[in-house]
Amino acid sequence: MNSILSLTGVSKSFDATEIIRSVDLDIIEGERHAIIGPNGAGKSTLYNLITGRYSVSQGSIRLRGRELAGLQPFEINRLGLARSFQVTNIFSNLTVFENIRCALLWSMQYRYSFWHLVRKQKQLNEESEQVLQQIGLGARKDMLAGVLTYAEQRSLELGITIAGGADVILLDEPVAGMSHTEADQSVELIKRISEGKTLVVVEHDMGVVFNLADRISVLVYGEIIATGVPEEIRNDIKVQEAYLGSLDEQDA
Amino acid sequence: MVEIVIFSTLNGLVTGLLLFMLASGLTLIFSMMGILNFAHASFYMLGAYFAYSVSLFLGFWPGLIVAPLLVGVLGALVERYGLRYVHKSGHVAELVFTFGLAFFIEELVQFAWGKETKNYQQPEILDFPLFTLFGQNFPAYKGFMIFISIAIFIGLYQVITRTRIGLIIQAAISHPNAVSSLGHNVPLIFMGAFGVGTALAGVAGVIAGPVLTTFPGMALVLGSIVFVIVVVGGLGSLTGALIASLLIGLLQSYAIALEFAVNDLLALFDISFDADHFLNDLWTLSLPQIAPVLPYLLLVLILIFRPTGLLGKRET
Amino acid sequence: MAKVRGLLVWIASLAVLLLLPGLFDSVLSLSILNQMGITIIFALSYNMLLGQGGMLSFGHAVYFGLGGFMAVHSLNYIEAEVFSLPVILLPLIGGLFGLLFAVFIGSFSTRRAGTVFAMISLGIGEMIAACSLIFVGFFGGEEGISGDRTMAPEFFGFDFAQDLEVYYLIAGWVFVATLLMYLFSQTPAGRIANAVRDNPERAEFIGYSQRMVRFISFCGAGFFAGVAGGLFAINYEILTEENLNAITSGNVLLMTYIGGTGVFVGPIVGAVLLTLLQTVLSNYTELWQLYVGLLFVATVMFMPAGLTGVLMIHTVAWKNGRLRQLILPYITVGVPAFVLLCAIVGLLEMLQFYRHGVVGEHEMTLFFVSVDTSSVWPWIVTLLIAATAGYLVKALTPRLLSAWASANAPLERAKT
Repeated sequence: MNSILSLTGVSKSFDATEIIRSVDLDIIEGERHAIIGPNGAGKSTLYNLITGRYSVSQGSIRLRGRELAGLQPFEINRLGLARSFQVTNIFSNLTVFENIRCALLWSMQYRYSFWHLVRKQKQLNEESEQVLQQIGLGARKDMLAGVLTYAEQRSLELGITIAGGADVILLDEPVAGMSHTEADQSVELIKRISEGKTLVVVEHDMGVVFNLADRISVLVYGEIIATGVPEEIRNDIKVQEAYLGSLDEQDA
Repeated sequence: MVEIVIFSTLNGLVTGLLLFMLASGLTLIFSMMGILNFAHASFYMLGAYFAYSVSLFLGFWPGLIVAPLLVGVLGALVERYGLRYVHKSGHVAELVFTFGLAFFIEELVQFAWGKETKNYQQPEILDFPLFTLFGQNFPAYKGFMIFISIAIFIGLYQVITRTRIGLIIQAAISHPNAVSSLGHNVPLIFMGAFGVGTALAGVAGVIAGPVLTTFPGMALVLGSIVFVIVVVGGLGSLTGALIASLLIGLLQSYAIALEFAVNDLLALFDISFDADHFLNDLWTLSLPQIAPVLPYLLLVLILIFRPTGLLGKRET
Repeated sequence: MAKVRGLLVWIASLAVLLLLPGLFDSVLSLSILNQMGITIIFALSYNMLLGQGGMLSFGHAVYFGLGGFMAVHSLNYIEAEVFSLPVILLPLIGGLFGLLFAVFIGSFSTRRAGTVFAMISLGIGEMIAACSLIFVGFFGGEEGISGDRTMAPEFFGFDFAQDLEVYYLIAGWVFVATLLMYLFSQTPAGRIANAVRDNPERAEFIGYSQRMVRFISFCGAGFFAGVAGGLFAINYEILTEENLNAITSGNVLLMTYIGGTGVFVGPIVGAVLLTLLQTVLSNYTELWQLYVGLLFVATVMFMPAGLTGVLMIHTVAWKNGRLRQLILPYITVGVPAFVLLCAIVGLLEMLQFYRHGVVGEHEMTLFFVSVDTSSVWPWIVTLLIAATAGYLVKALTPRLLSAWASANAPLERAKT
């Protein structure tokens, strides 16, 4: 039980409204952890707190024991934590290949270099190709990212997220808006790319959640009401009352 | 000393209120549409030129009504057939468009009216000293400028706080995206806002033309200053724009009137330098000299330290 | 293959730069070429901000002007034998001075992009321009500062007294600066600048500080603007307030935008075209600035990608091998459009002549035809031509659009 990302007593208020209320959460190294909860429960806010987009009002967030509060998003990313976005967030005027290559630059120590020519960096280009193959966009490499289909853009979003080699990956509704077949392919892709890494995923689709997750946390009104393996969550009375019951009916 | 203070204050008030008339239109446009209209001062210039042409045939007073109307219609047409197409490409494209428009209008004015200064005169009826203080006259026309500006501020304030349209405007200022969901015809509102905003600039042009001279460079003179005011006052805040206008107006008129130089200050500490010292320009720096720099210094400082401006709630 | 082609392009450009004076050897054309070269570097440096970094600046002339002033001062120092430097290295001094100011100003102005950046650049630009009338020692007040390039030590026997020598100096710098700016765009800092332009937030989540990325582009742009300023100092031997004020800043925005911000050569096209308009067209008509304004507004409205952008959107049709399908529709719309344009220009010129021409003169030459503006006939004829051409353009445009659509349709769909 080696916790890699741990939240203790994390709260966040906007003006007078408390969106996140004293959340405690431990993500164990190497696990696939799903966070579920009804709309407006604060899942995206939680992500934004972890990744430094918002500042926490109270509490502490630690990545491998290192406090993240007060760090900028890019500093947190450099510590090995990457995220994807619910609304596709790519570089739409760059080619698909360029999107991935940019995502690799920092992790390959290029920093702000203006004395390397990217075209000549063999390893950089090879690794970019590899990521492209991995996410199945090899044939699209020279197209502008903005003209890809929705499912392709979601794959690219995933590719940008994992390219930098971060070992903690936060995905925000990776299969939202996809058809069943697309979603199934996407889940396979997520399983493949998260091999050997720690994965946190926010998702509405319960099929995907129970297929993917080793453990599940349930967030309702800014509070974690339960954490456990899928079976526990399925049978948890509090969860059923608050949330799952209605969804199970939908599933059936 | 007292006379300098009084006249500087009055002149500052005249300039400040004139700037406010321009800034109020710009603020209106920005609040509603999120566009910083670079060509705003160009519409002000058009107001002056239209009024000049009207005054040749009908005299000053009809121009006060006709010119702003013409400018407003022109503004609405520019929104309808120009800005609207650029809108989808984002704010930077809009800024570039209005910049191009400013350039174009200046050329158009030179084409239509020529490069020389126009003899646009204040009405004879206002050509008398309103009062005389310490042997100096205060022209009635400047009093008239103050009156018109205040009347416009009160009028706008009433419209915004008391009417249905005002409610929509307020909603648009605080929640720019929500208005369309209320079922209002947003393109029409935008066209109207742009028309009214430019018409206000037109009014400013009509009454400023006789005092600040009507020439093709008059837009350039005020163009950037108006930006300073809306940014400093807080984008989207009418009261902020009023305060910032008066601030800039007074700042400039005082700075021009007070002949302090850096070496006066240094003299207080018994420090003096030779005139051929290589930093001589720095020691002889005087308030009238730095007056033109101050507004822009203020702009940059505000943008760095308080991007919402003095009273604004939204960032630029 | 692509590598060889890239190299060939650079070699060809170098050859063109070397051969141009052979084709245009008059004093006038040499001075136009010199101005063009300076403007090309300036516009390319501006595009490091606007096109590659997504920063709209209204005050880029500051770095151009400051670099230029420093270079002129250096000329005078060289003449006074304070230090010695060949003229050919003077642009480097301009560049370093531009860089110095860019480091200082960029340290706070690049924190944000978009409107805030634009407004700060405007404020700084106005401030420096106003300062130039205050600090007479450095800026020389209204008269500016002048120098003499021939007083510098000779460089391999060249004293740069001749325009042709200055041309080769400028051409050399144009080549080097363009190459360096192109190479910059191919480095990690240059690539990530594009990413920050597209989506600053996402760039932060792949490890880059958007502020730092913008700052680096900003410094680069300041440096090359300073180099251009230094070349200006060598070529004209004088700098005034005009070289760093809002008008110069506006001009560089204008030409970069018209040329196209999305393609590396866009600003070069813009700089060449605008310099030609400024120097050649201004000989033929007083209204040239009005036409430039019209061109700019039309560009922003109808082809926001600029002239080179319009060419670039043909690559799909070209790759599809269907570019030929567009030739006929282009001609059928292009000819009446050109006639319409000429008719409008004719009307404007006649109006200008009628309103502002010499009193008592009615005869003017318009497109090699002598026209009597006091008669109604030329007006009616021109209006009729304009109306007919306008109607034809309007009637034929749908055909062009459908030809465009079919030329750009994906190949598979077209086959079935």
